Amino acid sequence: MTAGALSHLRLVELGSGFASAYTAKLLADLGADVVKIEPPGGDATRKLGPFPAGRVDPETSGMFLYLNANKRGIVLDLGAAADLARFRKLLDRADVLIHDIAPAELSRYGLEPQEVIRGRPRLVATAIAPFGLRGPYRDYRAYDLNLWNAGGIASLNGGGPGTDDLPPLRTFGYQSTFQVGLNAAVASLGAIFARETSGVGQHVEVSAQEALVTILELTYPFWPYCQMVASRLGNKPIQPLDFFECRDGWVFLCAVEEHQWKTFVEIMGSPEWAALDIFADRLQRAANWDALKPMIASWMAEQTVQELYQLLQRRRVPIAPVSTMGDLWSSKHLNARGFFVSFTHPRAGARRTPGAPYLLSRTPWTLRRPAPLLGEHTAEVVRELA
Amino acid sequence: MKNKPLAGIRVADFSWVWAGPFCTLQLAHLGADVIRVECRDRPCVTRQIPPFADFQPGLNRSGYFNQYNQGKRSLTLNLKHPRALDVARRLITRSDVVAENFANGVMERMGLGYEEVRKLRPDAIMVSISGYGRSGPERDFVSYGPATVPLAGFSAVTGYKGGPPMHVGISYGDPTAGLHGAVAVLAALCHRQRTGEGQFIDVSLWEASATLLPDALLEYEMNGTEPPRDGNRDPHMAPHGVFRSAGEDRWVSIAVGTDEEWRSLVAVIGDGELASQRYGTLVDRKRHEDEIEARLTRWTTTHSPEEATRRLQAAGVAAFPAMTNQDLADDPHLTGRDFFVDLPHPEVGKRHHAGIPWKLSEMPCAVTAPAPCLGQHSREVLQEVLGYSESEIEALAADGVLG
Repeated sequence: MTAGALSHLRLVELGSGFASAYTAKLLADLGADVVKIEPPGGDATRKLGPFPAGRVDPETSGMFLYLNANKRGIVLDLGAAADLARFRKLLDRADVLIHDIAPAELSRYGLEPQEVIRGRPRLVATAIAPFGLRGPYRDYRAYDLNLWNAGGIASLNGGGPGTDDLPPLRTFGYQSTFQVGLNAAVASLGAIFARETSGVGQHVEVSAQEALVTILELTYPFWPYCQMVASRLGNKPIQPLDFFECRDGWVFLCAVEEHQWKTFVEIMGSPEWAALDIFADRLQRAANWDALKPMIASWMAEQTVQELYQLLQRRRVPIAPVSTMGDLWSSKHLNARGFFVSFTHPRAGARRTPGAPYLLSRTPWTLRRPAPLLGEHTAEVVRELA
Repeated sequence: MKNKPLAGIRVADFSWVWAGPFCTLQLAHLGADVIRVECRDRPCVTRQIPPFADFQPGLNRSGYFNQYNQGKRSLTLNLKHPRALDVARRLITRSDVVAENFANGVMERMGLGYEEVRKLRPDAIMVSISGYGRSGPERDFVSYGPATVPLAGFSAVTGYKGGPPMHVGISYGDPTAGLHGAVAVLAALCHRQRTGEGQFIDVSLWEASATLLPDALLEYEMNGTEPPRDGNRDPHMAPHGVFRSAGEDRWVSIAVGTDEEWRSLVAVIGDGELASQRYGTLVDRKRHEDEIEARLTRWTTTHSPEEATRRLQAAGVAAFPAMTNQDLADDPHLTGRDFFVDLPHPEVGKRHHAGIPWKLSEMPCAVTAPAPCLGQHSREVLQEVLGYSESEIEALAADGVLG
């Protein structure tokens, strides 16, 4: 089997949230040997699910299985001196540490930025924190929802004009966590790459709030460039760029270029209303969207999602299905690319999971082993330390 | 000063719009010399759309382009001209990484596909970012950033309770794929460092995004159920929402993950009814979530989001205002951390841009140059990187190669 791009790296993961777990997953899936440290009761994501057949079992939590495949798992009680010493020994021989220990607790484990790399000149030590390690919000608590708000993304999503009774809306899942995890992987890999030539490791600090502010697209600069506040309540400047309900599901239509609109009108059978002056160009279509949307919607209501998707796409009109989870699992395209992978876990059984987020031609993403049972590798790793 | 991590690494950046440039922005932040190859007759989409500084349109004046191209250089080439392709090939021979996010087949038709790239530079790492990826039955489908959000599954599970599927507010697949592309390129650089081998990296917005929905996908895999759209609520926490605050369209997010946090919240808001045993556990609170949200809103509407946040955080409860772009620009925490970058730009002056969300202790990586004006570095790149003489450059310019 091809060695992974990072199969030379020994990584230690310590954390309570899943930012550290996700960052370590990105590196583990590319070959790194990750030792994940769990507290005696097990990682919090073991309680999160989803669980097969809905039966709660700390060994079969879907999120735990997803985030921790390819890793070895050990249990250490870092409140006890012997285990803390083992942890320090693990760090002494590690290339990389990824953690998301709360800033106020760093000193309990010797993880302050200068302390953790002292005497470990080649270690890359990455700390992930909601608001970074310094500044007035350093010790603020934040769940994923709070970060999505702190980073400015929630306030961009809502129902559009006339819906100011509805709050800013989160995006499903744990997106703040994943975004900061990706940024932590980027910064850590930069430091790992540099270490090979410079011989020196370093401390890496990553802020989740800042990671989110970098993905505000064109909305952030509206303030410094035009002194305009970006709002979820605004009108879209161009249309069609909206959701429609078909007979068997939803689609998102993006026919904003003139040629796309013309093709779409033709496919609708060139209804008379489409030729009205008030829909003459994309700006007018947006200004008169209240009138136009119901016209399109009544045609859409007669269509089926997959037929419309295939038909419009073959005519070069950007449209996408609103994929349900079932749609994704059965997508011919994703399956043809081998996106879903299978594994067998001693407790969860034979399962399928989303796989590679990227295809590397020479050092591919791999699923080498399922997530560890609680403490599965404690004895093995302790032996290695001896 | 110590070198940045990617000092000496050059990126031939043929990408445009958001996903590709966001990938190469990460490499620029780490110190790579990123050279964007741009066309004057088809400038980057982000140069052509607002926000333009002070509402004055201009190819160098958009905050969108200037945000995502900080620290890069711009070389203009008319890639329809055969001699421009010679220049592009020479750039590739002198680059470690080649990045692109055109529609499927565009690079190949120009003779710049990976098969050609590896002939020019056997150890090149080429990253190709696209909506659908470079294989599979839908690889030639048209992909627009906003449409990849519903395609990847986000819209089906995002929305108000009982309402239609919703967007997420940004073209989320773009930065997600861009970051994944950067992770893959960096891993490939580590591999090349040890073996001398380059490789090809295929990143699809769809797949990169779908890997961020494991909870929803596995719910379906394990139990055959589709997670319902449920506003800001969370199955494992209550209350968990964004609540109206004092002021016009102002909101605060509050999330309670433990019974202890719940008791702290109740103590802060001083609502005797909520202190009752009926709400003591998560199961209780999920059962009475409507009622809890209504009572909590009575309190939040009498406080600004900042005041509510201060008081709740002081008691150990996770709360934060729903920040707007203006709130972020004025935020004392972000400004105190020197997060924003406002280097002088020849056409727009000093403007705030989001900076680098991480800090390296031994190799500080501040942004050192603003986004380039169109073609700003053409001559310097042709001369210093590609070794063209003054007279050769004049000839290229006269021939319309640099258009």
